[in-house]
Amino acid sequence: MDLGLFFQLIVNGLMSGGIYALIASGFTLILGVMKVFNFSQGQFYMLGAFVTFGITSSLGLPYPIAILAALIAMFILGVIFHFTIIHWTLPFGFFHTMLVTIAFSAIVGQVSLLTFARDQGMVSEVLPGTLNIHGITLNNGKLLVIAGAIIVMVALYYFIKTKIGTAMLAAAENKEVAQLQGINSERIFWVTMGIGSGLCGIAGALIVPVLSATSSMGINAFTRAMLVVLVGGTGSMSGALLAAFVVGIIESFAFQYVGQLSLVAIFAFAGVLLFFRPGGLLGKPLPIPGQ
Amino acid sequence: MSKAKTIALGLLILLLIALPWLVNPYVLQIVISTITYSILGLAFAFTLRVGLPRFDIAAWWAIGAYTTTTLMLKTHMSFWLTLPIAGLVAVILGWLFFVIVIPRGMMVFLMFGMVLTLATQQFFGAMKFFGAWGGTGVVPQPTIGPFTFANKPELYFLGLILLLINLLVYYALFNSKIGRAWNAIGSSLKLANSVGVDIVKYRMANVLIGNFFLAIAGSYLVAYTLVAVPTTFSFMFSVYVMMYVVVGGLAYSLTGPLIGSTVITFLPEYLRVAKEYETIITGVATILIIIFMPMGILGLINLRIKPWFVRRKEYGRLSGGANK
Repeated sequence: MDLGLFFQLIVNGLMSGGIYALIASGFTLILGVMKVFNFSQGQFYMLGAFVTFGITSSLGLPYPIAILAALIAMFILGVIFHFTIIHWTLPFGFFHTMLVTIAFSAIVGQVSLLTFARDQGMVSEVLPGTLNIHGITLNNGKLLVIAGAIIVMVALYYFIKTKIGTAMLAAAENKEVAQLQGINSERIFWVTMGIGSGLCGIAGALIVPVLSATSSMGINAFTRAMLVVLVGGTGSMSGALLAAFVVGIIESFAFQYVGQLSLVAIFAFAGVLLFFRPGGLLGKPLPIPGQ
Repeated sequence: MSKAKTIALGLLILLLIALPWLVNPYVLQIVISTITYSILGLAFAFTLRVGLPRFDIAAWWAIGAYTTTTLMLKTHMSFWLTLPIAGLVAVILGWLFFVIVIPRGMMVFLMFGMVLTLATQQFFGAMKFFGAWGGTGVVPQPTIGPFTFANKPELYFLGLILLLINLLVYYALFNSKIGRAWNAIGSSLKLANSVGVDIVKYRMANVLIGNFFLAIAGSYLVAYTLVAVPTTFSFMFSVYVMMYVVVGGLAYSLTGPLIGSTVITFLPEYLRVAKEYETIITGVATILIIIFMPMGILGLINLRIKPWFVRRKEYGRLSGGANK
C-alpha cells in the first residue's frame, strides 16, 4: 500500500477515534457517576452536529461560536433530560432508567428523521485546503477534528482534578457517603449529565465540517463508542481514550478492505482482546453497576 | 389453584383454540407476530432471572431464521429438520461467543449483546451467500406429508404449540435444581458465589437454552414469512424486546412477556396513527409507563387492583410471585 493511502487511513482512524473518545468518555462518566446506561448518548452527538450546522448556515455565525453554542445547547438539553425524566426513574433501578434512555433515544431519532430528513447539512470547510508533508496530502478538516478532540480530552482530564471533578469521582464511588462528606450528590448528577451530553455536543460540532450531519449518525457512533468502552475497560476513562484511537484506526483500515464488514472486524477485535485481557486495555476504572 | 383461576384458565384455552374462527385473518396475523415476539420476550425475561439483560436477541433470532432458509434452499431439507439444527447452531455459536463474554460480567454482556445484534445484521447484509440486503430466496412452506402449512390458522396453531413447549420447558427448569441456582444468582450474586454456586456455568446454561428457543422463533418466522431479510433483525428491535418485558412486569418471567408483547403489538393497530409517528408515540408511552407503572401491567394488577377483590387472608401471596 502506498504511503499516502496509509497516512490517509491513519488520519481517518484518528479522527474517528477522537470522536469516539469524546462520546465514550461522556458515556463512561454518566455510567460511573450516576449508574445510568445512557443509551441516548449518540443522539446528543447528532443534535450537536445539527445545532452547529444550523447556527453556521442559517444564522451565519462563525464556526467557533457554533461549537460553543452546540456545547451549551447540549449541556442544557442533558440537564433538562435529567430533571424531567431520569430523576424520576432513578429510584426504580438500573433497568428502568436504561429503558427510559432507550425510549428517549428512539423518540429523538424519529423526530430528527421527520424534521431534518431533507436538511442533512454539511458545514463549509473551516480550514480549507490540505496540509502537505513530504508529499503526502492530508485533509485539514480532519486534522482539526483530531486536534479538537485532544484539546477537549486534556481539558476533561484537568477538570476531573478540580473540586467538582473530585466530587464527581466521590459520588461515583459511593453516593451516600459522598453526601455525608458534604457533597451535593443531586447537583453532581445533573452536572454530570450535562457534561456527558456536552462532550457529545462538541463531538458533533467538530465532525460537521468533515462529515455531513445525518439522522442516523447517532446510533452508528454510539455503537462504536460502546465497543470502545468495552475495549478500554468498562468504567475506565483513560482506557476509553486509548481504545478509541485503536478502534478508530482498526475500523479505518477495515473499511478500506472489507467495507461494510468493518463493524464485524472491530467487533471481532474487541472479542479477541477481551479474551486475552478481560480488564480491557488499561486504566483505573470508575465503579460501574453490575457484576 | 383456586376455582376461579381454573375456570379462567379453561376459558383462555377455549378462546385460544377457537381464535381462528373468531377473528379475521388480519388479526390472526397480528396474533402470529405476537406469538413470535412472546417467545423472544420470554428469552429476555429468562436470562434476566440470572441478572443478565440480553440485547442480542435479534442476532440469534436471525441466525435461526437464516439457518432454516439456507438449509431449505441449498439442501432442500424439510422444515421440521431445520428446527433442531437451527437451535443447535445457535447453541454452538452461542457457546463460542459467550465463553468469552459471560465471565466478564453483566455490563460487558449487555454491551456485547447490543453490538452483536448490529454486527450480525451487517454480516447477513454484506454476504452475498445469504442474499445480502435483499434477503434470501423464498422457501417452500412447511409440510407434513400431504398437508401444507399455508394458511394462517395452521401457522397460528404451530406457533401456539411452539410457545407452549417453550413455556413448559422454562417452567420445568425454573422449578428444578437449576432453577434454584438461577434464583440464587439473580437474587444476590456474591452470596450465591460464596455458597458455591458456579455463576458462569449456570449463567452459560441459561443463556444457551435461551439461544435454542430464539433460533426456534427464527425458524417459525421463516415458516410464515417464507424469507429472511436482514432489516427484520434490527438493532432497535433487540432493545424493544426489553420493552415488552418491562411493560408486562419484570417480576413475572413467564406471563410478563406474554402480556407485554400482546399489548405492545396490538396497541399501535388500534391507535391508528401515521406510521411515522408510531415510534414517537410508543417511546412516549414507554416513558410514561415506566414512570407511573414501573412494576408493569401484571404488577399493577397484582399490587393495586387485586387487593380490592380478594379476601384479606390472601394478602400474603400478593407480593408478586417469582414464578408467575
